[in-house]
Amino acid sequence: MAKNQVSSNPHDQHHPVKLSRGDKIFNVCNYLVFILITLACIFPFYYLFINTISDNEMVRLGQIQLIPRGIHFENYVQVMKIDGIIDALFVSIARTVLGTLWTVGGCAFLGYLCTKQEMWLRKVWYRLIIITMYFSAGLIPWYMNLRMLGFLDNFWVYVIPGLVSPYNVILVKTFIEALPPSLEESATLDGAGYTRVFMSVIMPLITPILATLCIFSAVGQWNSFTDTMMLMPSGKYYTLQFLLYKYQNEASSLAALVRNTQDSSALGNLATKQTALSVRMTVAMVVTFPILLVYPFFQRYFVKGIMIGAVKG
Amino acid sequence: MTRLKRRGGILLLLAVAVVSLFLPAVKLYIHSQLGEEVAGLFSPTLSSFSLMKGDGALPLSSVPALASLHFEGWMLTGGCVCLLVAACLGFLGSGWMLSLSLALSLFSAALSASFAMHLQNLAGSLLFSLMITVQWAAYVPLVCALAIAVWVLVIILKEKEGIQLSEAAWRRLMALFAAFALVCCFLPVYRVAVPATITSTSSDADEMNRSTSIFTYALGQEEMLNEGKKAGFYQDVMTGDLQELEKYSGNGNDLRGIFLIPSTSGNQVRNLAVLCAMALLLLTLILSLIPSVDKWFPVALSLLSLIAFGSSVLGMMSVGSGDMYSGASRQLTYMGLGSVTPWPLVGLVVLCLGTLAGVMCIRVANSPYFVNPIPESVRLRVVALTLAVIALALTLAPQATFSFYRPGKTKAVSSVTMTGVQMVTFSTPEDMLSPKDNKGKDMYTEEGAEDTLSLSAVTGKMQDMTRQLGLTSWASIALMLIGIAVLCMKKQRKIAIAAFLLSFGVRVVTWLQMSSLMPAVIGSAEPSFFLYATLPVLIFAAFFANFADMAELPKKYKLFLMMLPFLLAVFLFSYLPLYGWSYAFYNYKFGMPMSEQEFVGFKWFSEMVNNPGQRENIVRVLKNTFGMSGLNLLTSWLPMVFAIFLNEITRTRFKKFVQIFTTLPNFISWALVFSFAMCLFAMDTGIYSKFMLAIGAIKEPVAWLNSTEHIWLKMWGWNTWKGLGWGAIMYLAAIAGIDQEQYEAARVDGANRWHQMRYITLPGLLPTFFVLLMLSISNILNNGMEQYLVFQNPMNKATIEVLDLYVYNITIASRGTTLYSFATAIGILKTLVSVTLLFSANFVSKKLRGESIM
Repeated sequence: MAKNQVSSNPHDQHHPVKLSRGDKIFNVCNYLVFILITLACIFPFYYLFINTISDNEMVRLGQIQLIPRGIHFENYVQVMKIDGIIDALFVSIARTVLGTLWTVGGCAFLGYLCTKQEMWLRKVWYRLIIITMYFSAGLIPWYMNLRMLGFLDNFWVYVIPGLVSPYNVILVKTFIEALPPSLEESATLDGAGYTRVFMSVIMPLITPILATLCIFSAVGQWNSFTDTMMLMPSGKYYTLQFLLYKYQNEASSLAALVRNTQDSSALGNLATKQTALSVRMTVAMVVTFPILLVYPFFQRYFVKGIMIGAVKG
Repeated sequence: MTRLKRRGGILLLLAVAVVSLFLPAVKLYIHSQLGEEVAGLFSPTLSSFSLMKGDGALPLSSVPALASLHFEGWMLTGGCVCLLVAACLGFLGSGWMLSLSLALSLFSAALSASFAMHLQNLAGSLLFSLMITVQWAAYVPLVCALAIAVWVLVIILKEKEGIQLSEAAWRRLMALFAAFALVCCFLPVYRVAVPATITSTSSDADEMNRSTSIFTYALGQEEMLNEGKKAGFYQDVMTGDLQELEKYSGNGNDLRGIFLIPSTSGNQVRNLAVLCAMALLLLTLILSLIPSVDKWFPVALSLLSLIAFGSSVLGMMSVGSGDMYSGASRQLTYMGLGSVTPWPLVGLVVLCLGTLAGVMCIRVANSPYFVNPIPESVRLRVVALTLAVIALALTLAPQATFSFYRPGKTKAVSSVTMTGVQMVTFSTPEDMLSPKDNKGKDMYTEEGAEDTLSLSAVTGKMQDMTRQLGLTSWASIALMLIGIAVLCMKKQRKIAIAAFLLSFGVRVVTWLQMSSLMPAVIGSAEPSFFLYATLPVLIFAAFFANFADMAELPKKYKLFLMMLPFLLAVFLFSYLPLYGWSYAFYNYKFGMPMSEQEFVGFKWFSEMVNNPGQRENIVRVLKNTFGMSGLNLLTSWLPMVFAIFLNEITRTRFKKFVQIFTTLPNFISWALVFSFAMCLFAMDTGIYSKFMLAIGAIKEPVAWLNSTEHIWLKMWGWNTWKGLGWGAIMYLAAIAGIDQEQYEAARVDGANRWHQMRYITLPGLLPTFFVLLMLSISNILNNGMEQYLVFQNPMNKATIEVLDLYVYNITIASRGTTLYSFATAIGILKTLVSVTLLFSANFVSKKLRGESIM
């Protein structure tokens, strides 16, 4: 199942068959429906984008619906000046990069270790790890635990607890088990220890699955905001996503921010004047851009990843 | 001509850099507050070229408070000259000229970076932000210089096919880098420049104008400034203008904090780290110059110093509010009073390079991977010994923290070593120990405790305790010493193991003693980190002692040791929270130790059913949870149908296109989805209102997001919008796995398209559908909270609150709540139900399909 490409189509090969009238109607309807669905998926992105680059006064009056008018990029410049945005961007990037490396590295090595039959009590440890996938202690015990461990108001809470993710471990383990064992044996005969074997033999071979895990983990890290909300009570280490959430909910603080940025902005030009709405939309767009940027390149990995997951079921 | 082709880019980059000098790099505008007469002095934009000419470009002297600040135009001038030379050399030269060009372009990049940083520092400052914004053109020379450096490097590498440096050269390089990093410790990190105009006297200003290097900071010279603060010196100095500025600085940033940079609590550690880093650097420098030393040592040292240096630099940079590199610089520059220099960061980079050079040295020398200096036969013995000594040291460290408190008001704390000889040392004010309530009565005696809680009584009690605990502590120490001696003498390792295990047992006894001995009225005794740390160290000492005579650890244990950190993480983050389930049986009050909590048994569980108010809430929340999960469950066939119909599209391009864009929503956060919703459905500006008004479906704009009508349907809609395309991917993969011959056979038999879909594709997908259905049934209670959290508002709260969100809302979201126990009880039930559901689903699946879903 995993070997086939998603795009291979049962109908690709036969063409000379003449389409019946029913087929034609079906085709037209089918295309139309899918065009509509796709539009529904893209349109919100487009709508938000044109609203951030259009004349702010017209946006405020609701005159920008399908075509951008009075294009300017002042919103983006001004948003970058909001106190805390740059910090939040930095935190978001740091947690995404560090968290991804940490999780993927940890799960890869752990997955490798789990394939080693000779380990002392291997099955027990493996089950202990996997079983955590099926239960959770619940929100309060989780929160109190992190609190007890000193992770409140601590940047590392974004990174460290993610070391072991059972699902990823299963994926890596299954993937490694499918590799020919001879490769590893020959390296062991050459005198390489476990870490050497892992670094120089296994790692290069499992890059496809690692790439998939990286992407999922990175997207997860970038998108997460509830952890900031609960674990950062004193307002340190806010992430972009959380700021976005905050701006949506706290109209008053946003209004104050807007006033502050206004103080230092150039002129009282209505077209480029910041409004609460424009700030919200622009921050949302700023948060979206990285995903839009990497998305096309990594789309095929998503497909691959979910297929590997599907094999496991 | 080929030269132009190969190296023409350098000229192009140079041209870009030169052109950028004449582009506007800084935008000046005047804020109305500064008044008309000053406004007239400013021109709207300035190019880098005009900045290069020096201070004259800015009419700074006309604003008295800023007179001491100026643009360091020479940096950019120097950078541009260097770049010009580097580009010429890079274009024309060969051999050493290329290397020179590389060096020059890097130097130029450094100068431009300094300039840009300086500009940014100034523009970030409060006063200047009123009139300056730095524009992108200011950074172009920097980027060009870096690009030229890379280009030249590529040329060098291509022509020489790799840099061939001898082992000695790499070693010297490493020493050079280490030396430079050492120098960086003495270069200023902060410059604080206080204009005479804002202090009361000019001599005060002189005193405050200074630059601080990491080194002076590590030596604690800044303590003097603390003294100054105590004497009220700076309070006096900062009058007038600064108090005006304080209003702007906001965020509770204390201005004085800037002048008292290193006065935070983590200071001691950081001071130590800086000094350690410097000592390590010096050692690296010396060792890397001696050829006979194993090359691994300087590399290891350099790595260590990198860690120490990095942590201290970052720690130092983060003094103040921000906790990040930008924090201190923001504080300083906010005032326009100072700047942060790039030196410590340069030092870090140089140190990294030095380590790399060391690694290259090892590679060139082709020396084997780290040769362990300890002979193989005693290696494990040494490990065991080391661990035992560590355990010994940990036992001699403070063993407990004692807290004396009165109800409500905690507490005087003191740490005590438990080895019995030490006197109890605590400095607790008398009134903390025998607190009087506001009527002047002794609070404790009222509770019927016989202890007279005077200082001497407590001290006596503490000494008693120490004596008792000291006995066990000394016993464990003696046992450890025996174990160490046996190990050293290479005698029976079994004795050593027994000794370590016994002392482990004795330590546990100490631990248990600690909680039972302390009279609850006085306060509580908490084992310190050291006591906890001793326990695993002892176990491992015993573990390694077992293999003391072997050359190598058996493989199965080696693997286990590698696994151990992961197991620890799983334990800490997945199993340890289960301990929190005990909260459900207490009347948990936030911030009190567990021993103080009131045990209530199953009160909270019965409350869910018996207390009408709670029951109503629970029923409502469950209704929402099942309603919305149920809607999603009922429509869980949608992705499958989506996939089947998408599969009927023959144009691969179009199919791909649809797939890519329908999957996209899955990768954005719910916060972002809510932004979309807010814009699209905004009451008077959103496209939804406009459209509905236009076609006359509604008469006036509705608050779509705030209304409670059809909220379940709306939530279902967003969920489907986000997940439809993503859910279909798995089915598309399954379709790809269906045997093509089936279709052909069916076609031969005259099956039309509909028949094929109905009788081949659909049955092929049902197993996948079934598995996913089972999984989502078992997850029916876990519909997550993010979506409902972002969409909830006071209006729709009653109908949108699902179980997870409810738990969050009544606890963490509401300050000062007492419902933690109740929420935990809900969580326990939820987990139990989920697990039961999962196992039942698994059971059903096994019965029906003979396959497990887990």
